[in-house]
Amino acid sequence: MNRSIAVAYAVARKDLTSEWRTRELVPALGQFVVLALVIANFGFQIDSRNATVIAPGVLWLALVFAGLVAFGRAFAAEREQASLEAMLLTPASAAAVFAGKAVAAALLLIACEAVLLPALALMFGTPFNAALVAAVLIATIGMAALGCLFAAMVARVRSREVLLPLLTLPLWIPFIVAGGQAVQVAMGAGGSYNQAVALLIDFDILFVVLTSLAARFVLDD
Amino acid sequence: MTKYTRLAVAAVLLMLVAAAMIFLYAPEDYLQKEPQRIFYLHVSAAIAAFACFAVVLGASAAYLRTESARADRLARAAALVGVVLTTVTLVMGMLYAKPIWGTFWTWDARLTSTLVLWIIYAGYLLLRRLAEPGRQAARFAAVVGIFGFVDVPIVYFSVTWWRTHHPGPVIVSNALPPAMLLAFLVTMACTLFLAAVMVAIRYRIETLMDEAPSPVAQVLGAEREPEPAR
Repeated sequence: MNRSIAVAYAVARKDLTSEWRTRELVPALGQFVVLALVIANFGFQIDSRNATVIAPGVLWLALVFAGLVAFGRAFAAEREQASLEAMLLTPASAAAVFAGKAVAAALLLIACEAVLLPALALMFGTPFNAALVAAVLIATIGMAALGCLFAAMVARVRSREVLLPLLTLPLWIPFIVAGGQAVQVAMGAGGSYNQAVALLIDFDILFVVLTSLAARFVLDD
Repeated sequence: MTKYTRLAVAAVLLMLVAAAMIFLYAPEDYLQKEPQRIFYLHVSAAIAAFACFAVVLGASAAYLRTESARADRLARAAALVGVVLTTVTLVMGMLYAKPIWGTFWTWDARLTSTLVLWIIYAGYLLLRRLAEPGRQAARFAAVVGIFGFVDVPIVYFSVTWWRTHHPGPVIVSNALPPAMLLAFLVTMACTLFLAAVMVAIRYRIETLMDEAPSPVAQVLGAEREPEPAR
């Protein structure tokens, strides 16, 4: 168990170090989400009256597509250098390697959320509070587990750019349903915040357990 | 007449019996009139689709445990039939919704979750086509087949978990008059038989396709034959 945690930590640290040295993904994702806000502004005619109604939808759209890019990249470098096979040749368990990749990808997505949430509050004039941040972070856990699993899968498939959204988005919908409700409440709409967050935590547990069981079959070859 | 032709003819005849039960035997609904008759096939197709996806789940789990090619073929066959039946469910539901609710589509929990179910398993079929055929495609598809099933209970319970336009579970809550219940049970049995026959035929097709040499091999094989003397 301790060994697995050490492996996962080492893999996550490797990914984050490589991102820190190249600074490829996070700046691009940051620009991407700001662009998404600009496009939403032209698509919706946002003013102070409708901003809190539209903002949750814009937030989830930007986050979901940024997530697809982030998780799609998670295995791209490994594929280009065939280093995943090397990692799997070591006695480390596939589930631990996968956990490390997922943690690193989740942290990169959180870095992108650190741009998205303040930018949304600033440019749309919507409330920015702990409830909003907590809901988005809790949803990120389960979305990262699922997204990384499918990214690992499609990394070795033809036309992966098409297939990743097609497989991942339908299974993210539970998170968007519950997360969407939580964010709406956090921005001042009616409804139960606790119920939505409890549902998000349920989905987190369900999908983290399922992905940790399935990781072995996706990575092993 | 092969075994499969006989099964297919039997399934078609049984569906005609079901149609007779729906249009001739079942009484007309007092409030909803004729459109209510859509209910029989709509719900039966939905249940048969759930059954197909349950087969995908079971066969996928069996494949991951044993790597048996038969389990993989069964999952492929059941997924295809399940997507067809989900399409039938959605289309029949939209035909019912237009006269009753006044619109073909509304973003209701049950409708949305059923559409998501369709997308998940259509993605499954697409993955089968795009992944390298063989062990990898079978493994990846098995994982998707297992994850996709998470949506089935969501579809089933969506009418109790959220407030929806969609009618609640009338069968388990015993809300149908006996004649309607009988017509429904006959339709459901016939639809399940039809689904089983379609899965069996598709399973046979998948077996033949697995055993047939690939088109490339066929071309190479043909080239190796000696040219006829001129």
